[in-house]
Amino acid sequence: MLLELKGVQKRFGGVVALRSGDLSINAGEVHLVMGENGAGKSTMMKIIAGLYQRDGGEMKWRGESVNFANPVEAAKVGIAMVHQESLLAPHLTVAENIFLGRELSNRFGLVDRGAMFDKARRLIEEHHFPLQAEWKVERLSPAGKQLVEICRAIQHGTSLLIFDEPTSSLSEAETHEVFKIVRTLRDRGTGVIYITHRMDELRSVGDRVTILRDGETVHSESMSTLSTSSMIRYMVGREVAALYSREPVTPGEELLRVHNLTSPPSVKDVSLTVRAGEIVGMAGLVGAGRTELCRAIFGLDQPSAGQIWVGGEHVSIGNPRDAVRHGVALIPEDRQKTGLARELPISWNVTLAGVPSKYGVLQHGVEREITAKAIERLRIRCDSGAQKAGRLSGGNQQKVVISKWVSRGAKVFLFDEPTRGIDIGAKVEVFEVMDELARQGAAILMVSSELPELLQVADRILVMRQGRLAGELPGRTTQEEIMRLATLPSSGTELEL
Amino acid sequence: MKTVQRLLPFITLIILVVALSIATPHFLTATNLSSVVRQTAVFNIMALGMTLIIISSGVDLSVGSILAMGGLMGTMAMSKGQPILVGVLVGILTGGLFGLINGLAITRLNISPFIVTLGTMGIVRGLALVVSNGLPVHEIPKAFSYLGEGTVLGVPFVLLLLVVCAFLVHFLLDHTRLGRYTFAIGSNQDAAIYAGIPVKFHTTAIYAIGGLLTGLAGMIEASRLMTGQPTAGQGYELQAIAAVVIGGGSLRGGEGSVVGTLIGGFIMGLLANGCDLLGINPYWQQVIIGAVIILAVSVDELRKRRAV
Repeated sequence: MLLELKGVQKRFGGVVALRSGDLSINAGEVHLVMGENGAGKSTMMKIIAGLYQRDGGEMKWRGESVNFANPVEAAKVGIAMVHQESLLAPHLTVAENIFLGRELSNRFGLVDRGAMFDKARRLIEEHHFPLQAEWKVERLSPAGKQLVEICRAIQHGTSLLIFDEPTSSLSEAETHEVFKIVRTLRDRGTGVIYITHRMDELRSVGDRVTILRDGETVHSESMSTLSTSSMIRYMVGREVAALYSREPVTPGEELLRVHNLTSPPSVKDVSLTVRAGEIVGMAGLVGAGRTELCRAIFGLDQPSAGQIWVGGEHVSIGNPRDAVRHGVALIPEDRQKTGLARELPISWNVTLAGVPSKYGVLQHGVEREITAKAIERLRIRCDSGAQKAGRLSGGNQQKVVISKWVSRGAKVFLFDEPTRGIDIGAKVEVFEVMDELARQGAAILMVSSELPELLQVADRILVMRQGRLAGELPGRTTQEEIMRLATLPSSGTELEL
Repeated sequence: MKTVQRLLPFITLIILVVALSIATPHFLTATNLSSVVRQTAVFNIMALGMTLIIISSGVDLSVGSILAMGGLMGTMAMSKGQPILVGVLVGILTGGLFGLINGLAITRLNISPFIVTLGTMGIVRGLALVVSNGLPVHEIPKAFSYLGEGTVLGVPFVLLLLVVCAFLVHFLLDHTRLGRYTFAIGSNQDAAIYAGIPVKFHTTAIYAIGGLLTGLAGMIEASRLMTGQPTAGQGYELQAIAAVVIGGGSLRGGEGSVVGTLIGGFIMGLLANGCDLLGINPYWQQVIIGAVIILAVSVDELRKRRAV
């Protein structure tokens, strides 16, 4: 037994990221760790690698209780991690990055560049990576950077290697190369922890699997005996209480039509329609291209191909201004960064997308009326419209962001993770606002990673996988069905070469 | 407590006035006060434009150079026989032109305002020296001195100009779409873009307006000196930025007001005047101004940190 975790806990402020993490890794096995977004996988891995310190529970390395204060201590016993996001120094070369923080030195204590480059070259050749030791890292593709990360992790005697979704940015061929490396390492007796969302990868590389849900380890089993369907069941598991249920509206005319929209590199050939009164859910894993689809429709990214119709009119949307003019609204994923002007009054935020003015002169009276109406209609809890928007609770902030589009009279709403960072009560209120908008004839596309919410709110659910539309499901589908479409390659429906 | 902190610049101004009145009998005289007004009018008018720019979360380091260029072009037009009014107009428009260039460079090349205006600070200063061959322009009609030194019913003409400009900028900030967008861009540029606001256009306009005001300030400066100096206005960017910041403007954008800036400007003017009257070495004035900037910003930071 290499590593054993029992009941490991981690809190961030009031949020419990890991409630009870159990995991045991043997030498010479590839151990898959699975779970939905936010299940606690990454937190657990970061505790193992010494990036976070646990708040409770036990961690044993080769039978001895350990506590890594930082990644260097973890590296000393032989634990290394290949990170999902690149943690490289972009201005340095591949070789310099591989040895960053543990540069080889000559007998004068100076950096031995020659030895470093030689060793890096050998490492690269051994694994047939398409890299050159002298290349600057900033010029590499995401996949190239990932390979440098891998080189970095394996360059010195590692006993346990953690891969956090290493193939999410890699091509098919590069993925196979990674698998080959993983297998080679395993055969040499290294323990490998491998996090992935792609079900198709699992069987080809994994020996055992541990599944996390809501910050807890719920199951651990050998890969050969565990069926895919029970794996999904373990992942989504819980019965979610029906917090909210929505009476569907009879859809009216088609308000949004997207045809063969491609926005490289994340959105590939997506077609969809949303009709008045409809709330269409959009599910998919992180990185499936859902946010990018919204961005492309809203004119924030320039699609390379495809057409958009709004209210039956063929439109060309080159920037958000065009989108707003055609009545398209985006409630962005990152409210603080792109949705709200925190330092400005609520009323200014409400009228941000269409401040009432005549010949460029503001009409303060009209603005006050609009604000009062918005506060009442969306039930924004505040002292007055003059209060700074940043002072409101998350749910009320979100309502302010939505009200900006309501008072502008938008017809097509793109909600990107509308309930992120707001509490359950406010979530229901946001759903009620969405429902009311739909009833009044708006067309709503709702991106959410919270499957129970999609099931409660959406009339039908589209699923994206790796930039493409993987399928459409009725609103009364199951989480298992969604996860299946989001992770598995669908049979036959995709005719790609 | 909060109100006290908001009124801090104003209170400081009052304290300065009282303290200087007690410290020296020469302070509270019509001659001295009107000289303070004249001295401060130049960078107060510049600071009005800077207020817009700083609220939009930008900065303009090139105002000193633009001021010189505006004054130079205006006086050169007069020395070539153009009427005074045309000369003044040329000066103002020259400022506007370089402000426009700043705005276009910032928005079209996507470079930070700090870098762009650091560059144009050098470029415009250099151009002014090239155009004038490094020599001041002296052949100016005598009547031109009215702009900087004249009075209307005993009130300095520049004070009236300042009041008019302040009123216009205040109206622009609080009552026009451009003003609202200035706050929105400064508070959260991404949110402004996401709301469909034409951010580039308005940002450019803000710098152009700042340039126009700086051009006017340049003409006033030229009138007071009765020369067009290619080396005028050096270090004025410090004065203008200081006035805005002391008056409650935030270099992070989204905050600032005309009244605050005017108070900040007068605080700076009184500090300089006080130093003169009390016989303090003028070299120390720069030290004091620099220290006051840091003090004002740190007080503001404290206020914000407590608010969070």
